[in-house]
Amino acid sequence: MMEPTPFLMGALLGGLYALLALGLSLVFGVMRIINVAHGDFVLLATYLAYALFTYAGVDPFLSLCLLVPAMFLFGFIVQRYLFSRFLLRSAEAALIVAFGMSLVIQNLHQILWSPMSRGLTTPYSLKALDLGQVFIPFTYLLDFLVSLGAMVALHAFLSKTFLGKAIRAASQDLKAAQMVGINYRTVFAVSFGIAMVTAAMAGICLGLTFPFNPQSGVSFLIIAFGVVIIGGLGSMIGTFLGGVILGVAQVVSAELLGSAAQMLVVYALVLLILALRPQGLFGVR
Amino acid sequence: MRKAFDTLVLIFIWLGVCLVLPFLGIPPKVSLYLFLFFVYLALANSWNLLAGFSGLVSLCTSAFFGLAGYCLILLSLLKVPLWIGFIVGLISNCLLATLIAIPTFRLSGIYFSIGTLVIPEAMRIIFFLWRPIKGTVHGGGAGYMLVGKVGMQSVYLLSALVGILSVAVLYWIVNSEFGLGLAAIRDNQRTAEASGINVYTLKLRSFMISACIASVAGSTFYLYQGYIEPASAFNVKWTMIAMLSTVIGGIGTIKGPIVGSAFVTFLHFLLARYGTLSLMVQGLVLIAVMLLAPQGLVGLLGQRFWPKVLEDRHKA
Repeated sequence: MMEPTPFLMGALLGGLYALLALGLSLVFGVMRIINVAHGDFVLLATYLAYALFTYAGVDPFLSLCLLVPAMFLFGFIVQRYLFSRFLLRSAEAALIVAFGMSLVIQNLHQILWSPMSRGLTTPYSLKALDLGQVFIPFTYLLDFLVSLGAMVALHAFLSKTFLGKAIRAASQDLKAAQMVGINYRTVFAVSFGIAMVTAAMAGICLGLTFPFNPQSGVSFLIIAFGVVIIGGLGSMIGTFLGGVILGVAQVVSAELLGSAAQMLVVYALVLLILALRPQGLFGVR
Repeated sequence: MRKAFDTLVLIFIWLGVCLVLPFLGIPPKVSLYLFLFFVYLALANSWNLLAGFSGLVSLCTSAFFGLAGYCLILLSLLKVPLWIGFIVGLISNCLLATLIAIPTFRLSGIYFSIGTLVIPEAMRIIFFLWRPIKGTVHGGGAGYMLVGKVGMQSVYLLSALVGILSVAVLYWIVNSEFGLGLAAIRDNQRTAEASGINVYTLKLRSFMISACIASVAGSTFYLYQGYIEPASAFNVKWTMIAMLSTVIGGIGTIKGPIVGSAFVTFLHFLLARYGTLSLMVQGLVLIAVMLLAPQGLVGLLGQRFWPKVLEDRHKA
């Protein structure tokens, strides 16, 4: 049996990382909030899918029908009634609140699910696709396709629909957007809701691919930050390429240096890019 | 001048009271919480100097705290006197601060926070993989035990000294020209630059002083704890405590961290038996304070409640 090449695996994983970062990037781009609780929100979706799968036998992808509206509503409420209060005060205030929220959710996971490591093991999660020369795990392929689909859909939404255009307008110039009659509170709440929808999708894919525990949110967050830093903010293509670069860097360094050191290489890469090109490889400022 | 003298007197009185306390026969449990109060106070001051007075919302306080603990315990294993461990901790933290500054100081505001968030995670992995001293590893991970025992009383006195000195250092900085420069940078970096302030140097100095305060707090804590392992040393918990104490008390004030650390210590005392729930409640308190009293308890109680000497200049 042939092992899949690390490059291919990394690239497939990178698609998922891009999806993970998409919500973070959207929230920052539109509301200028650094949502340090993003990883924990993603994990919230993972655990909800886990609960549905274990206790009701619902397939993780089927559970998206329930999780997508639920997470959208959750995001809408969090932005409309919590973060909006800090909007005009300072970016630091929102950051501190997000930090507090991350603690609350993280420890809620801890209480509800115990610190034990868990995984979403479906009948198809151990299958692999035989392409003659290489062997691709089915979940990796699925992750990549879901992520790609979500990104294309979001891109279409932002560029084609009225609401999408309003979101982009508000992120480019809030005052001008208000002047043409955009209700920024609603627009912001919808943006946060959409970010949570991408978080739900990312959460399910991550749960299918990796084992997770209540602390995983932090590593999800750091991966998402890494993607945003490498790819730069504000461009969908940049986020996607950032995800792929990070995924490849992680998998290749795991192959060369062992799995414990893989994240170290990623952090070093992130700091290096911060030092050399703060706007990211593909970002514009 | 007169005011500075008054403050000095106040600080000495406080120090005196703390020095006498253990001889009055307070129960060990109380002295443990007093010890924690002073460690938290130093951590809070370290964070407040950056976030409150220099406009740098740093998320890497735990990196300095953990590194100081490691320096102390690893050197104790080499049979080096403990005070040298303190100094080595200080020096390595200054070096670390300078290193962190290279990539992160080019980033403004919120990007700085993101950059610093990565540091403790990276440190945790480094100390997990790199076992500087072989054969003495304790526990399942990469843990080390301190060699040499220090009595609770002396650890407590040390913590009191560290905590109170950190207040004095902050007081001195805020009322100096250096503090004025930092306030200018915090309020508007571009204007500060235009009026001839060397932004990079001032920020770096503030960052290094903050690292030093966190370093002595870490060394003191691990002198008491006597055991270190990467996951708890570089835990986000330490950053959390610093942030929580400062924000609850009042960010950008001298008395804020004092009030806030007392509050957080009391919270830990109340919730000591509940572990996970304790952290959750702390998160909720953090959100509630930001919502209801963004100026912290100090702001809530108003200016008139406090002794005149603790009044803040260069306020935000």
